[in-house]
Amino acid sequence: MLFSHANLCLWPKVCRFWKGMVMNMTSLLVAKQYIKNFISKYEVYLKPLLKLVLALASLMMINGKVGYMHKIDNTSIVLIVALMCSFMPMNFIIFVAAAFIILHFYALSMECAIIAFVLFLVMFLLYFRFSPKDTLVVLLVPMCFLLKIPYVMPLAMGLIGTPVSAISIGCGVVVSYMINYIADSATVLSGMEMEDMATKFRFIIDGLLNNKEMLLTIITFAVTVILVYLVKRMPIKYAWTVAIVTGAVAEIIVLLAGDLVLETNVSILGIILGTTVSALIAKVVEFFAFHVDYNRTEKVQFEDDEYYYYVKAVPKITVSTPYKTVKKINTPRKRSSQAASRR
Amino acid sequence: MINEERVMLMTRLSSYEANEGKKDIAITHYYRGDYIGFQVLKSVVAATISFFAVFGVYLFYNFETLMQDIYKMDLLSYGKNIAILYLCTAGGYGVISYVYFASRYNKARKNLKHYYDGLRRLSSMYDK
Repeated sequence: MLFSHANLCLWPKVCRFWKGMVMNMTSLLVAKQYIKNFISKYEVYLKPLLKLVLALASLMMINGKVGYMHKIDNTSIVLIVALMCSFMPMNFIIFVAAAFIILHFYALSMECAIIAFVLFLVMFLLYFRFSPKDTLVVLLVPMCFLLKIPYVMPLAMGLIGTPVSAISIGCGVVVSYMINYIADSATVLSGMEMEDMATKFRFIIDGLLNNKEMLLTIITFAVTVILVYLVKRMPIKYAWTVAIVTGAVAEIIVLLAGDLVLETNVSILGIILGTTVSALIAKVVEFFAFHVDYNRTEKVQFEDDEYYYYVKAVPKITVSTPYKTVKKINTPRKRSSQAASRR
Repeated sequence: MINEERVMLMTRLSSYEANEGKKDIAITHYYRGDYIGFQVLKSVVAATISFFAVFGVYLFYNFETLMQDIYKMDLLSYGKNIAILYLCTAGGYGVISYVYFASRYNKARKNLKHYYDGLRRLSSMYDK
């Protein structure tokens, strides 16, 4: 069976494909090493640049979605603020983004601004005192929602964060749905009478609290973060890849089951496509954060006075970047000088 | 000749000093009780502000109902319920803060102990 005509014809193709894959992998690893070297060499300049890009992107997205205050919906102001953010700590961006959201809401209606202010206040005072490193997630989740890839956040945070990151992602989901809800209800809110403050409050809070889709998304993302984290830590081969696949499948299942129970009418195709793209992005995260060679796994066993140790060591895949040197054998000046000496 | 072991140790120590070490040194400048007490106090203040902010939104949300029932309500028991809710929120948050900051203080002390051990080892390398 193994040496049948079809198999013999196929075998060189498989070999070529495998060789190509290995070559591609090697060039990818070289590229990764180049990127790492580049980042470590120019870290001083890249860090402010990254902050600038992040601040610029987030502020422009906020202005694009809820740009009700024309004074700050201005490219030059956004640029100045983003430049300011590039020299400040990373968490400053979230404060600026929150201020922008509150100001835009204030231009739409006072009640929206108050609710957004209270929400951010509670988030900053109660939760981010404990995990200031996770603050950025609140900014990234709404950005991912706008880019239609929100499912990447729980996968990525499960891989590089801790189960507590589920709370940060939950906060990000609430902020995202609040922005969407107020942007969608802007016409209704501006149409309401000024004196009817309590009605406006009730309208906004009811809209947020009765949003089943938001609740379902928070539950799904929390389950995914915890599941990805647990699977990632299991002592199995390709744990990170298994974790990504498990997380992606869990996301699809929980969202679809939740859709049936809560009748949220979410797009099934959107969920599947979004999760697939997110899993691929998570795979890129894995490539940069955790890349090991399971084929060279070593299992060693030793003991001391108190314990027996069963150690499993998985080596990291590393390649050295090719070092190119340009050696000049003849220079034009030398030639001309030689010619002059002959004369 | 460069002593590789010494360079590695120095790099590790200076990296710690520049990042986590700064916070750890600031934390261990306090006595354990002072540090935890101060952090719990800050947490209680944060919980108080958050509670009253949320309570304010709740009052606005139920403004019409409250205005209608204000003369029928037993204001004393209503106030008592709010006070109990506040105490539970602030107390619960204070306990969580206590546990978190106590473990953070212990971790900072442990990290600093390793750091000083490293410094001592470095000093002995120079003495040789």
